[in-house]
Amino acid sequence: MDEKAPRTMTAQAPAVEVTHLSKVFGPTIAVSDVSFELHTGEVLALVGENGAGKSTCVKMLAGLYAPDAGEIRVAGDTVAFANPMAAHERGVAVVHQHPGLFADISAAENIFAGQPLRTRAGLLDHRRMAAEAQRLLDLLGLQRSARTLAGDLRVSEQQIVEIARALAADAKVLILDEPTAALTATEVDRLFGVIDTLRTQGVAMMFVGHRLEEIFRVSDRITVLRDGALVDTVDTRSVSEEDVVRLMVGRSIGSLYDRAPATHGDVVIETRGLTARGKFSDITLTVRAGEVVGMAGLVGSGRTEVARALFGVERPDSGAILLDGSEVTVKSPARAIELGIAYVSEDRRGQSVVEDFSILDNASLPTIEKTTRWGIIRRKAEIALVAGPLERMRLKFHDYLQPIRTLSGGNQQKVVLAKWLATNPRVLILDEPTQGIDIQAKAEVHRIIGELAAQGIAILMISSDMPELLGACDRVYVMSQGVVAAELAGDEITQFNVGLAATRALGDDAQKPAADDAQPERSSSTAPPPAPRRTAIDALRRVLRRRETGLLIALALIIVPLSLINTNFYSLGNLKDLADYSALLGLVGIGQMLVILTRNIDLSVASTLGLSAYFAASTMRALPDAPVVAGIGVALITGLVCGLLNGAVVAYGRVPSIVVTLGTLALYRGALSIVSSGDRVKPEDVSDAWLAWTKNEILGISPVVLVAVGVAVVVGLVLFLTQRGRETYYSGSNPEGADLIGIPVQRRVLGAFAVSGLLAGATGALWASYYPYVDGQVAVGLETSVIAAVVVGGVALRGGSGTVVGVAFGTLGLLAIRKVLTIAGVPDQYLQAVYGAAIIVAVSVDVYLTTRAKRREVTR
Amino acid sequence: MTRVLAFARSRATSWEWLLGAFAVVLIVVASITTLGFADGYNIESSISRMAAKALFVLPLVFLIIAREIDISVASVAGLAGITYGLVVQAGGPHLVALATAIITGALCGTLNGFLVAVLRLPSLVVTLGSLALFRGLCYVLVGGTPISPLPDELIGFAYGSLGDTYIPLTIVPFLVLAPIAAIVLHRTAFGRRVYAIGGNPDAARYAGVATRRIVFQLFVVSGAVAALAGVIQIGITSSASPDSALGFELDAITVVFLGGVSFLGGKGKISGVIWALIVVIAVRSMLQLQNLGAYGQAAVVGAILIVSLLLANLGIRLSTARAARRARALTLPSGGKTATPHNQPTQSKEIHNA
Repeated sequence: MDEKAPRTMTAQAPAVEVTHLSKVFGPTIAVSDVSFELHTGEVLALVGENGAGKSTCVKMLAGLYAPDAGEIRVAGDTVAFANPMAAHERGVAVVHQHPGLFADISAAENIFAGQPLRTRAGLLDHRRMAAEAQRLLDLLGLQRSARTLAGDLRVSEQQIVEIARALAADAKVLILDEPTAALTATEVDRLFGVIDTLRTQGVAMMFVGHRLEEIFRVSDRITVLRDGALVDTVDTRSVSEEDVVRLMVGRSIGSLYDRAPATHGDVVIETRGLTARGKFSDITLTVRAGEVVGMAGLVGSGRTEVARALFGVERPDSGAILLDGSEVTVKSPARAIELGIAYVSEDRRGQSVVEDFSILDNASLPTIEKTTRWGIIRRKAEIALVAGPLERMRLKFHDYLQPIRTLSGGNQQKVVLAKWLATNPRVLILDEPTQGIDIQAKAEVHRIIGELAAQGIAILMISSDMPELLGACDRVYVMSQGVVAAELAGDEITQFNVGLAATRALGDDAQKPAADDAQPERSSSTAPPPAPRRTAIDALRRVLRRRETGLLIALALIIVPLSLINTNFYSLGNLKDLADYSALLGLVGIGQMLVILTRNIDLSVASTLGLSAYFAASTMRALPDAPVVAGIGVALITGLVCGLLNGAVVAYGRVPSIVVTLGTLALYRGALSIVSSGDRVKPEDVSDAWLAWTKNEILGISPVVLVAVGVAVVVGLVLFLTQRGRETYYSGSNPEGADLIGIPVQRRVLGAFAVSGLLAGATGALWASYYPYVDGQVAVGLETSVIAAVVVGGVALRGGSGTVVGVAFGTLGLLAIRKVLTIAGVPDQYLQAVYGAAIIVAVSVDVYLTTRAKRREVTR
Repeated sequence: MTRVLAFARSRATSWEWLLGAFAVVLIVVASITTLGFADGYNIESSISRMAAKALFVLPLVFLIIAREIDISVASVAGLAGITYGLVVQAGGPHLVALATAIITGALCGTLNGFLVAVLRLPSLVVTLGSLALFRGLCYVLVGGTPISPLPDELIGFAYGSLGDTYIPLTIVPFLVLAPIAAIVLHRTAFGRRVYAIGGNPDAARYAGVATRRIVFQLFVVSGAVAALAGVIQIGITSSASPDSALGFELDAITVVFLGGVSFLGGKGKISGVIWALIVVIAVRSMLQLQNLGAYGQAAVVGAILIVSLLLANLGIRLSTARAARRARALTLPSGGKTATPHNQPTQSKEIHNA
């Protein structure tokens, strides 16, 4: 890392220049008056403690937040990014800490999701994208096929895909937001190799990170932020790690902490060989009464997982937890609280606080049972229970009933602490207790921790805050890759020792038991052998792994034996009937699939179908001489209008689609009932041409089937070959991720509903001609079979996954079963039960498969 | 600050207040304009027609506050009604039949609860599936033919009134259960936990709330109450038919959302839901008097559902905008330095009542 590329400065405008940037959130100033510049071919590190304003700066550069003051200039031009896409267009790309990829989509497509490559005809060029993506992944040293689904990649691998995405977009400015947080040492090395390559290619990079060792390896200059303000920008080669720490902390280490050495009692909590596969292994630790024991280590080293096991959120696989020397099983947080264990989570917003609740309701939540008399909560008892702890926190507040979200982060954390003190804990586990709170509140929290320890509470404190560990702890366990790498006490607790132990194991993966446990398992289950990528066997395996194949086999196993019971099943008439009905249902199913792909559902399809069918039929009755097209047109327009209304309410009203379409189901059916008011269009009312157009076979094939196959082919091609089609998948697979790369999710949702309505309308037109009588009851309740067919066809209700072929199989399969049962004399109405069961089973199988896949993916 | 609080508190109640005022105005206007609306017989039959739907609403409020939903209630009611009929057909007395029906409903709820709380499947999909499943079972059990006659105890109950009033006996179970539901939801530890689950499921779990057990219990209760509603409904129609209570979930869900229960979970009150129930009863009654058919009435209810969802969303957006404006106005240089990207979604979950 000695020969860094020479920096080209001064002559041209900096790649990015920010001046006097400020951003305010509510009562907090996240960033105030920050200026720095970023030059081509250099790596600028952005460092600072948690909450120093790093991520806010990143988000402003990425176009996620608009600055409240100050300017951002890209290549000399002042810019105001309205959204991430605008930033992207100016060549500013961000690799986020948690990759926003589409799990159900291949890595190659993910890389080109924002700006796909096209053929000359304007269609998507999947072949070229796959090749190009593979080239980028190879360049970045990722030994995976670009065809792998992003969801099957490890987080670190997903990060590489994100970088590839930025490269594919030809980014001039690359912002890496804590890219190494989830990476192993080897992966970090590889990433740094990539960064060096990019540096020589003249990419300007900003590296946001915590680990000084990495910062010093990779950066040319370092910008230090503290409490939202710029401290200094320094040349990496001219400073030492201590200098940077001093700039970050802004005080000499230890001055915040003046705790008298306390006398410690007996061991309160102890673990022996505690192991949870893939998370941590062989954890043996003790905490005495009155002792503050720190738990250091990098994010992802297993610290939080150990705490969760102690608190009963996760179950260890082996080993023991001992409380006062006797073994206990902590099977739930409720049990932990009973045992006197309290856990202050690292994620205050996510796991500690109910934002809609008042201070009082938050503080009394774990102990609420104690405040009831005859089951009724008594406010006085509630206040009595939490008043003491709250007072101890010296929390300034006006009213117990004040909503907790009106408090600052530090004060919320005090309420959280008070909440746990009210449970009278003997063991207090603190997970990053001062993360994201300001320095004053931090000191207060430290004071409280000291007091609690003095009272004899055993305290286990997970922290990434070095001064906190050094200043507040009597002893420190350092975790690395799931094991306790060191135990330090007294004078041994130094920044150097902690840092060394936390990173030491990273170099030699193989030696550590946790690594043995976790890593081979991950790679064996997810990584294909690094053999040639496109062999015939591989292709066959891919075919076999496809959901459709499994589905086909499953359906065959059900249908073949059933159909053999009564060979009438195979009569020509019967098969034709089956084909026609499958075509009708399948058409609606394709529309439904589009909606489900976007993570929505359309319950109103049957009503839309009925309305369109009746309108078409009654139009043809009113105008007996009108051409067939008139009826079809009326049906299509009716369907489209219904679909657009659904889509507009769901997409722009942002309300749950299932409830909306439950409403429109009733609305459209009711409209039909009012319009038709008991009327029925009979075959003799309409022209023969209208009745004939769905029955005159073309080359021996029913027009209904032809239409359905035609639509299936067109929709399948559009979904596969056009950007719009792919975006429909992205919108459902990961709506936030889609938003980040500028995909108009709402428009895609509206589009899906519109097409769903249109296809229901088309089916209505076919229906009105195919069946002799058309009235207000057309297709009542059909939505159940449509949804069942689509879900059985492997379209995932969580969105983003499903194919036209699957829908075809699902429809055919379900209707074949229906046919078999009908021939066997089972009345049609019974089938609802079958459809209902099919939905539940299909969803259970889907969730089972996803969780199994997730379980394999142990990284996190 | 106290003024801010008073303001916040008045806002929190304002949706119920508005809805209540609307209900009163609606009833007054309908009494004047619609002939026969204020007639005792009409009031009685209008309330009776909603008796089953009203019962569905109570457990649904709990479920939706806890971020779940049960759209299978009407099918559970149908199946319970069929079970009641089958027991009666086999010569069983009224009470045995009633008990069997309620146990059936609780078992249906257990299935839903198992799939949602234990297997962790999304409740929307689970209950969509079980909606079809339970309804299909109705047909499997009796074919197409309704079971009648039903015992005199049930018929007498279904056609009786409370003393000399126009209050039908069929609504009495609701009148008994609604205050209990209100007390449980608003005044007990259980209710507080239900709100906590909806407000922040993780925080609830970390605070020792047995979230999955509570959700499971809610589904079981929902099934049992739906079964009671199912028996009442077959009493009203005098026969246990497989399509009894068909489509009733629409009214129940409409009442819950119109009543101000947030579709995001964590918010809502029984009082608002009661007003919403009164509104829907009045609207249906007016439509009935104008001889609008069942589908037509359902169309209006469906429209009310969509409008109340859009209003709720409007409320969320307005309060988010207000919070943002307030935030910009305040520029105190103190407090935490939290600027997480999670800011927006959580804020947008703020206040539902507009």
